[in-house]
Formats: sequence, C-alpha cells, structure tokens
Amino acid sequence: MNILTIALRNARKKWVRTLLLLLVFTLGVVSIVSLNFVSRVVGEGLEKKLVSFGANILVSPKSEKLTVSYGGFALGDMLFDVSYLDEADTIKRIDGIALRQNISVIAPKLVVMDRVQGMAVAIVGVRFAQEKQLKGYWEVAQGALPGEEPAPAKKAADGMHAASTPTPVPAEAGPMGLVQAAMAPLGQPKDTYNGNGVLVGSAAAAKLNLHVGDTVPLGKTHMLVTGILAPTGSEDDNVLLADLSFVQNAVGRPGKANFLEVAALCSGCPIDDIVNQLGAALPNVEIKTLRNIVEQRMYSVLFVKKLILSVSLVILLTGCSMVGISMLSAVNERKKEIGILRSLGFPRRAVFSIFFAEAASVGLLAGLIGYLAGFAVSFRILQALDMAEGATLPFEPLHLAATAVILALLTSLASLVPAWKAAAIEPSEALVTL
Amino acid sequence: MNTAATWAEAALAAPLPTVPLPIVPLLDAVNITKSFTQADSRDGAPTQALKGVSLSVLPGEFVSIVGRSGSGKSTFLSVLSTLLRPDSGQLTYNGFDLTTASEADIDGLRHGDFAVIFQFHYLLPYLTALENTLLPFMRGLRPVSGAQRRRALECLERVGLADKGHRLPGQLSGGEQQRVAIARALVKDARILFADEPTGSLDSATGATVMELLGQIHKDGLSVVMVTHNEQYASLSDRVVRMADGLVV
Repeated sequence: MNILTIALRNARKKWVRTLLLLLVFTLGVVSIVSLNFVSRVVGEGLEKKLVSFGANILVSPKSEKLTVSYGGFALGDMLFDVSYLDEADTIKRIDGIALRQNISVIAPKLVVMDRVQGMAVAIVGVRFAQEKQLKGYWEVAQGALPGEEPAPAKKAADGMHAASTPTPVPAEAGPMGLVQAAMAPLGQPKDTYNGNGVLVGSAAAAKLNLHVGDTVPLGKTHMLVTGILAPTGSEDDNVLLADLSFVQNAVGRPGKANFLEVAALCSGCPIDDIVNQLGAALPNVEIKTLRNIVEQRMYSVLFVKKLILSVSLVILLTGCSMVGISMLSAVNERKKEIGILRSLGFPRRAVFSIFFAEAASVGLLAGLIGYLAGFAVSFRILQALDMAEGATLPFEPLHLAATAVILALLTSLASLVPAWKAAAIEPSEALVTL
Repeated sequence: MNTAATWAEAALAAPLPTVPLPIVPLLDAVNITKSFTQADSRDGAPTQALKGVSLSVLPGEFVSIVGRSGSGKSTFLSVLSTLLRPDSGQLTYNGFDLTTASEADIDGLRHGDFAVIFQFHYLLPYLTALENTLLPFMRGLRPVSGAQRRRALECLERVGLADKGHRLPGQLSGGEQQRVAIARALVKDARILFADEPTGSLDSATGATVMELLGQIHKDGLSVVMVTHNEQYASLSDRVVRMADGLVV
C-alpha cells in the first residue's frame, strides 16, 4: 500500500467511469494502431502495384540529339551515332549502390531498326523476365511470351530447343512447330531464355499483318512470332520485342544495351539519393528520373500516410480531451477527499501525483489493450479488403511497450491541468464550513 | 578555612527555593484575526470572522471552545490546526512561529504532531477501515511497513473496531466511521488533536461513546482542542473557552 493505492482504488470504485474512459481511449488506440497497420500493408501493396506500372529511372549513354523516342530513349540518332552501354558492367555497378535494396527491377534494352514487309519497325531486345516484372499490365492476346509455354493446346512436344545464337528457322517446320522451336528448352530457366521468339505489339501486328507462327527477318536471321501483345496504350504497341541476347547477337553487338530502365520505389524512398548514387556509380552515363511518375507515386503513398496521421491526431485529441474533462469533473467531485489528504499532511505534489497516476494508468492500460486489439482488428480489416493474403504484420513487443508508454504520457499530459487544480485546493476550502 | 568552600557547603546545605517553573504553552495564538468575503455579499465587504482572538493550549490540556453558530469557533479551530492562515496575529507551536512557516513545514506538522477530526468523518469511501487508518502513511511511493500496519491495528482495537478493519466506510455506522477517523488521528502519534464538532452528526449514545474515547486519549497525554455546541461534553474538558462574534468572551 502506498500513494498509488489511492489512485487505483478510486479508479476501481468509479469503475463505470474508468471503464468508459478506458473504452473510449482503447477504441482510439485500436483505430490508430489498426489504421497504421492497414496503411502499412496497403502502402506496400500500392507500392507493388505502382512498381508494376513501369520504371521511373532511365540509365542511358550521354547523347546530344534526340528525335524519335521509345520509353524516353532517342531512336533517330541512334542508328548513326549511338554509343552503347555494357549490359553486365552497368548492372553490376547499379547492384553496387548503397540503396540497391530500393531497386526492384533493372531492365536493359537494345533497340534496332529494321524493315519488315517493306516497313520500318523498331525491334527491341529485352529480358522478358525483368520486363514482365516492370510491365505488370502486359497481356498476351495470342500465343505466349517468348520463352513461356503457350496455352495447353499448344503445349510443346519433346525436342524443343532454343538457340543461344541466331538459328535459321527450318523451312519445313509448320507454324506450330516454329512456335515450339521458339520456346525455352526443358530445364532451362525462363529468365535466361535467349531464343528467337518475338512478341509483337498490337498495332505493329495489325500494320505488318503478323500472326503467331510467322517469321520476321532480323539481319541475316529470322525471328519467330510467339505471341501478340494486347493493346497497352504505350509505345510497346508499335514495336517488336525479342530476347535481348538474341538481338545483341543478331546485330553483332553482344553484351551491349542502349539503355536500362530501373524501377525504384518505396514509401518515403529517397529517389534523389538513388539517382545521385547511380550517377556516382556510372560517371559517363545519363541518369534521368521520370520525376512526374515518381512524384505521383510518392504523393499517393504520402497522401495515405498524411490522412492516417490526421485521423490519428483527431482521435488522440478527442481521447485526451475526454481524459482531461473527466479528470476535471473528478477533481470537483473529490474536493473533500483532497482536503482530507491535505489535512493529513499530504503535500501538493502528492495530491498532484494521485490524479496523474490515475490518468497514466488509464493510458497505460488503453495502450496495451488497444495495441493488441488493433493488431487483431487489422487482420479483420485486411481480410475484408481481400488483402490479408500475403500480408505480413510482425508483432513487435517493443512497439507494444512504446505504445503503452506513449499513451500513458499522453493521458498524463491531458491530466496536467486537472491534477494541478487538485493540488491547488486548500484544505480549508474543501473541509471547513465557515 | 577556605572561604569559597565554606560558601559552597553553605549553599548546598540551604533548602531550595520553591519557585514555580514557567509552563510553556504547546500552542499559542495571540490576537488572531480572519475575515472572508462572502459569495452572496452585496457590497463585497469582507466579514470579520475573528476579531483578535487569543488562546494558549498547555501540553496535555483539554480545551473546549463553545459558542453559537457564526461565533467564529470553527474558523478559529481551522486557524489553530493550520488549515487556515490568519490575516494577522501570531500562532506558535512549541515556540515555532506558524504564521510565517513554509508550506513544507506546515505539511510536516499536519503529518506529524497535528491531528484533525471533523463533524463528518471524511473517510475515503474506497478504502477499508484499516486502509483509512493507514492513510497518513500512504503519502509516498514507499509501501506501508509491517510496524505501521500493526500500529494501525492497535489504534483500531483501541477505538473498538479491531474486527471491522476490512470493512468499507459504507459498511460501518456513523459512530464507527467517526471512531475510524479518531483511529486515523491516533495512528501517527500526534501531540495535539483538533476536533471540530466530533459528535455533531451522531446520536447522543454514539456521541457519548466518542466523547469517552476522546477523554481516554486525553488521559494518555494528548492535548485536545474541541469545538462543540454541547455544553455537557464541553464540561468534560479542563477548560472551556466561550466565543461570540469573533471574540473570546
């Protein structure tokens, strides 16, 4: 038994009020904790979705003239006076920056111009595995991506092969045989696929009248159309996309790339720092930030966070006001009690600490219960939003303790005025009938 | 013969003079004044509750203050017990000037030497009789010791409530509640007990029991200053002080 007994016994005696106060504050904490948890998961999900929309940093050789563009990269001058990046070296340097963990995809590209059925067309060499990550919106309307198995009806038979170097297509092979020939051989990882398959953009397929199984010349070799891309509304609709290694070898530029698209995003991620680090790692290379996209993405994430913060602040302020008002009325109700304590020699600071301890105990308990309940509620909300699957909400005891302590401090702060008022009461004011 | 030795021997042989030693008052109030501004006062003029009252309380003395309602006796008791600061005059306890004492000193005095009981028992409703008795020891974070607990049980036993220590005030009668308040006053070994109408809210039988208890406490050497309307109870004290219109008459 000590001074805290007085605070806790009174809280127990006035259990309805204590319970209501605890309930309101706990609800506030539940809202804040669950909103934070949910916003974290939603933010991560949003980020993943945003990343799937494409790159936001362009790494290209320094160039002075730009006329025709694809993905922000100049094509016109490229044919005559284009310098190339060493693919492996560039990727290695990007991998070496300090903020590498904030980079999700590195997609190198080599763009060449050729004539197909008398019409000029851009053939873009890409790494399909990275490209798919970068362009989550891609849909193959017909056939399949080079290196991927087509629909079950077109399932490949034994003897599939893919050439690491351009391979002339056997003349006797029928359309399906050709498609199979462009698929990855069994056991070969798809991301290292380097066969002669080509994915044709929807507009290019219509213009050039290309279908799955058709062949397309490239230099001294041919490529096989394995799939037609559904309209994307992007520059991909007008080009032919082939495996980067195949294109590199076909045009005699092994290991070279015109540019690399880099997808970097995280909530609060320092995009400028990433660009600076890339600039330092690649001194003679141009690093462009597709700032509007980045800013838009960051804005979305930050907006959600600001919204959560505002709601949290309103809830906290409401809770604190309730604690303050409740404590103030308690001081008025307990004037006589305060008078007794003062007449028994309790100093002002002791009276102050009784009210302070009462408020702090409510905050501490609300923080503990609220955090645990908020944790449980978050899962329910995520389930309702169909976002629970794959979501990771690690339970962190340190956060639990921090929440309880912060809440105890907040409620104590809210009780400052009432506690001060209680301490200022004179025993004569409370007890003496004059 | 050594003159000095002769003088000393003579002095020792002579009988001691029978001069009475001066008795130092335990509590001494001199010319105390106190005024209040009533909330319902039309002109805002203060009401003079005490108009220069003086009183000395000797160690172990039982003093009763009697007077009609509004005579200023409760105000005077509040000043004597340091619950109220006087406007002027001097209040000393054991030679220590309380009118200029710091708040910490006053708190120390209330916690130690002074004990107050009121007409209404003023127990904390959520603490048991034993816990209410222990209340003076609960003003810090240090837990109540076993010795303090034993002392509280002794006090409850003395007021005849040894078997009711676990009860809440609401489960006790008015007289029992007042006895718990007396036990609370006794627990800290105070030197002077101030009682403001201690029987005012009790029936005559219960009031008599409480007075008997106060009488026993006084016999044990505690000084008591009691405010009462009841002349019969006042007559049990060593001295009766009468007050009217803020003055001792």
